[in-house]
Amino acid sequence: MFFHIVLERNMQLHPRHFGRDLRDKLVAKLMKDVEGTCSGRHGFVVAITGVEHVGKGLIRDGTGFVTFPVKYQCVVFRPFKGEILEAVVTMVNKMGFFAEAGPVQIFVSNHLIPDDMEFQSGDMPNYTTSDGSVKIQKDSEVRLKIIGTRVDATEIFCIGTIKDDFLGVISDPGATS
Amino acid sequence: MEQVGKGYSSTQGGKSSLKTTASFKGKDDMAKRGRKVQFDYEDSLDANINLSSKSGGKGGIPNGKGNWSKGGKGDKANGVKTPVTKQAAPLQLNIEQELPEDAKCLMDCEAAQILQGIQEQMVILSEDPNIKIPISFDRGLQYAKSGSEYTSPQSVRRVLEYPFVVIFVTLKKHGASDGEICTIANTCPESVDEVFALIPSFKEHEVWVGLIAVNGEMSKGKHRKLREPLKDALSELAKLKHSIKP
Repeated sequence: MFFHIVLERNMQLHPRHFGRDLRDKLVAKLMKDVEGTCSGRHGFVVAITGVEHVGKGLIRDGTGFVTFPVKYQCVVFRPFKGEILEAVVTMVNKMGFFAEAGPVQIFVSNHLIPDDMEFQSGDMPNYTTSDGSVKIQKDSEVRLKIIGTRVDATEIFCIGTIKDDFLGVISDPGATS
Repeated sequence: MEQVGKGYSSTQGGKSSLKTTASFKGKDDMAKRGRKVQFDYEDSLDANINLSSKSGGKGGIPNGKGNWSKGGKGDKANGVKTPVTKQAAPLQLNIEQELPEDAKCLMDCEAAQILQGIQEQMVILSEDPNIKIPISFDRGLQYAKSGSEYTSPQSVRRVLEYPFVVIFVTLKKHGASDGEICTIANTCPESVDEVFALIPSFKEHEVWVGLIAVNGEMSKGKHRKLREPLKDALSELAKLKHSIKP
């Protein structure tokens, strides 16, 4: 889910950036440093929407760098256990399938796929019901529920399930023709 | 919308699992192990827990002298192992407790609008070679756009806020959260049952609501079940979706 949130960070700036456009430099550096990062608590920082406050700088001993406390607003994306996401399938194998919902990767194990869906190998590996009415393959859109998360330095990895009511395929790329 | 996952009854919902959660609190750590997602909601829930444990809690609360090493001590009634260990608690959203208080949940359509605005600014900023658009931004925007069935966030908010949001606000006292409300907007459920299946915690809010907004005015004393106003809200949202999205 997306959130709008206020975060704070101490930014170090080299003295060569001091001048009339110090604030702009600070904001540019903040965007470069923060956007795209990921933390377990807040999830992915998707974009900075505004800078609320830039505090007084503090010169660091021994170097010319100055540390500015910056309070900024940003849009973050963080998956939660129990959350429902609509994800696009990126890879299917006999162990299950991988899907992406925004910057988040989700793995759905074959144990968490309904029992009536079986793995079919071939050029386009997929999970299909016995009557062939429902098919999960690459680029299919599925609605899933997050049941577990693991946070890395740069990405969040989730485990999902489609083995529940009102979960499963919502659009099949093969069915359009 | 095609739905799979058949054969999984939605009856494994809130009440029974809540009962088990409450029953074993502080009694049986073995049963709690492996089910770390526990939700301690406030008053209304406690009321439910008490009610259910009184009425049907046969195997629920083991006696103080219960020897849990034997397993199934508390089920004299049916003589089988306590179902508690087998029963899977429905996974519930617990957003508010994991994020700072000032975090505001955004619906996908709202996020899409904000991110699109930023993207337009980025075009100007991108002349500066030092600023690169991170991959997560593109993916986030793509996801927000694809996930938002409603292209006008204001309309969705309006539907959810007037007059229905009053119900949600009232429900907040019973534990309903912004996260749950946003999930409704994001998943565009078509029926009340779908809401209850996707957001099991909503079942707990299916209580009689004391304050209901009728045309925006609060009228005390009129009680109405959550199911009905929720149904109204969904039908309004559905209208909005079809009228906006060709």
